[in-house]
Amino acid sequence: MLVDFIQNTLDGLSTGAAYALLALGFTLIFGVLRRANLSFGPAIMFGAYCATWTHVNFGAGLLLLALITVGGAVLAGAYVERLCFAPHRGGSAIAAMVASFALWMQFEEFATLVLPRHLYAFPMLHEGDPIALGPFTLRADALVMLGAALAACALVWGTLYRTRFGLAVRALIEQPAAAALAGINVPWVFARVFALASALGGVAGYLVIATHGQITPMLGMWATMKGLLAMMLGGLGSLPGAVLGGLALGFIEAHSQWYLGPQMRDLIAYLLLFVLLAARVPWMTTRSAS
Amino acid sequence: MDDYAIGVLTNITLFSFVALSAYLLLIAGEMSFGQQAFFGVGAYAGGILTALYGWPLPLAALAAVALGALAQLLVALPTLRLRGLYFAMATLAAAEMARILFELLHWRRSIDGELAGPDGTQGFRGIRWIFEHGIEPLHYLGIVGVLLALVLALFLMLERSKLGATLRAIGQDPELAAAVGIDVQRVKLGVAAAAGALAALGGVLYAHHNTYVEPRNFDIMLGVHSLAYALIGGLGTALGPLLGVLLDIGVLESTRFFQGYRMIVFGGLVAVVLIYRPRGFLDERTVQWLRQRFT
Amino acid sequence: MSFLSVRDVVTAYGKIEALRGVSLEVAEGAITCLLGPNGAGKTTLMLTLAGILRPRRGSIRFAGEDIAGRAPHAIVARGVALVPENRLVFPAMTVAENLQAGAYQRRDKNTVARDIERMFARFPRLKERAAQQAGTLSGGEQQMLAVARALMSRPKLLLMDEPSLGLAPLVVEEIFRIVTELHRDGVTIFLVEQNAHMALKVAQHFYLMEQGKVTFSGDPGSLAEDEVIRRAYLGSAKS
Repeated sequence: MLVDFIQNTLDGLSTGAAYALLALGFTLIFGVLRRANLSFGPAIMFGAYCATWTHVNFGAGLLLLALITVGGAVLAGAYVERLCFAPHRGGSAIAAMVASFALWMQFEEFATLVLPRHLYAFPMLHEGDPIALGPFTLRADALVMLGAALAACALVWGTLYRTRFGLAVRALIEQPAAAALAGINVPWVFARVFALASALGGVAGYLVIATHGQITPMLGMWATMKGLLAMMLGGLGSLPGAVLGGLALGFIEAHSQWYLGPQMRDLIAYLLLFVLLAARVPWMTTRSAS
Repeated sequence: MDDYAIGVLTNITLFSFVALSAYLLLIAGEMSFGQQAFFGVGAYAGGILTALYGWPLPLAALAAVALGALAQLLVALPTLRLRGLYFAMATLAAAEMARILFELLHWRRSIDGELAGPDGTQGFRGIRWIFEHGIEPLHYLGIVGVLLALVLALFLMLERSKLGATLRAIGQDPELAAAVGIDVQRVKLGVAAAAGALAALGGVLYAHHNTYVEPRNFDIMLGVHSLAYALIGGLGTALGPLLGVLLDIGVLESTRFFQGYRMIVFGGLVAVVLIYRPRGFLDERTVQWLRQRFT
Repeated sequence: MSFLSVRDVVTAYGKIEALRGVSLEVAEGAITCLLGPNGAGKTTLMLTLAGILRPRRGSIRFAGEDIAGRAPHAIVARGVALVPENRLVFPAMTVAENLQAGAYQRRDKNTVARDIERMFARFPRLKERAAQQAGTLSGGEQQMLAVARALMSRPKLLLMDEPSLGLAPLVVEEIFRIVTELHRDGVTIFLVEQNAHMALKVAQHFYLMEQGKVTFSGDPGSLAEDEVIRRAYLGSAKS
């Protein structure tokens, strides 16, 4: 029993690492724009599909595919930012969010047009057997996922706390009006935060499809749902919360799936979110969403 | 009129119900990502009653509508004090839970020696009440059309009434509305029940038109589309959501030119229009202007 | 030519005009103050000058350049800095980081570091709290931090919106002592204040604003102080 528990925890944490990255991306955008970007997942899917297309037509190495995924996600993210968020800054939040849905529809259809089959194989990070560590098995790619996610988090932290850009981002998150008064070029920072968030999402997306060895058009919706869930669980607008929320989500899902199956796993995650929101748990509901 | 056109018009009518349901919540100031769940409740409830228990469609539709209202109230009550993105996320969570419950729903009964009824992810086939009762597609279109017209008439009456003004006041500034004595909670609950009822009505009619539904029909894409229809059509009048549906299903679907690119075109259209008209084509200002010109 | 010249500026929130044609001038090197009752539009004017709000009509010229409607960061680049109402410090950042933020546009790291030292010399209480989170400072300390932060961009014109708001009398005196010091160091100051008494003691010129327009312009001796105070708090409409 304990062995199962620990094994599930390990598995859960490695998926949770990907969720943490997704949540971090969502939170960066929310923290700075006070809006949720519902095209976040689909933009990642765009990058992943570009990589898949390259692989299907030309074959390519792991590193190149990772770069294409991240690059594609950043490009798609810039498109979303220009069309959905820049025009509505200071305006209607609903219009911005609905516009981001509209682009989601575009990305989904685009994916099915470019690669019509429902499922594509994707080169896996690690083809070999899992590593045995006593009674536990550790998949090497899960370790890579955990490691890459930790590295990405460290990168984000370093950026936020050791660079001039990071200072501007934090200023915008903490006190948007004063940030402009301090001479920060707000639209420029928004665009770059978007790029950073999209890159994080791209890394998460790549890790996920490279560990599962396959990609489907559901990736967009999946990434958005998990990212939103993790972000809300950890407390909307909090960066450390995003990471904890992601890990917690992974943990909860791994155990729910083990004992109750995949449908209950999702049901429990949504139920947890609903209950926490309804109870207006303070850490979840303090940040104002414009 | 050929079958294809009848089908398109019927779809336009059916999706108008769920678009109107999202619209109602939007003018009361709440963005719901979850109306598809109540569309599904209507579909499943209505289908089960007619296909498995032999209820006549009108009665089943009434029951489905009541259930839809109840279901939305069940979601609205615990989330009454949530606003903005928090409320939207709560509705999303609820809707996804509903969809998963549909996936887990096995309600099988033996009808004429065969097992029928919802079978989890395999879906629910054989909702054939209208065919078994000889209702032609054109007649069905007439029926759903009349129902939609009635709903629209109710909406247009609402717009001119004090209740309508109250709703918009709550949508614009709930604190101010409360300060002038409006019981915001009660009105919001009423709106929730009405929205749930509307979505469920669309759902039961949809199920009988399609004869087959599955949980995937009620995923977030439908919710996203409903919101998009309401917002691009315009929040100034109930004809707005209709315009939104017409734009997507009507124009883009029936002009085969856009075959395969429909969502790309529609999505782009929505994003661009919203830049210039954040509250849609028929927004409050346009509707006022139109009213002044034509009265 | 005046340092700052505002002509017929109209700023509106939707249909409501908060500034209905404001005209005034700020002379270089002087302390100019703007008095008036609540709701007169003083903060709206400050936000318009700083670029946070765009004027619908009118012109704003600073040191010969038209700055009306420019983005806030462009206005800071031209040497105008605003100490906003309610200070708006960055609460989770340290005092030192707040100062760094004020110097955001400056690339000269060494001079910025020296300027921070000079701020600490001018505001010793901030030095004591250099590594503390700004949100934990007292009202007076936050006000000093807000002023120091604005000064970090080395502005030629310092705008101050109600620096004495919510502060104890002793702290208010300290704030105004700093205003006088800055003036002596050559900084041009345009100051919005509710505390008419203190403001008139330091200003060379003052304006009265009511309901979106300037209703009086003169130097501190030109109107009896109790008349000024009455109009600053109550406006000149007969009760």
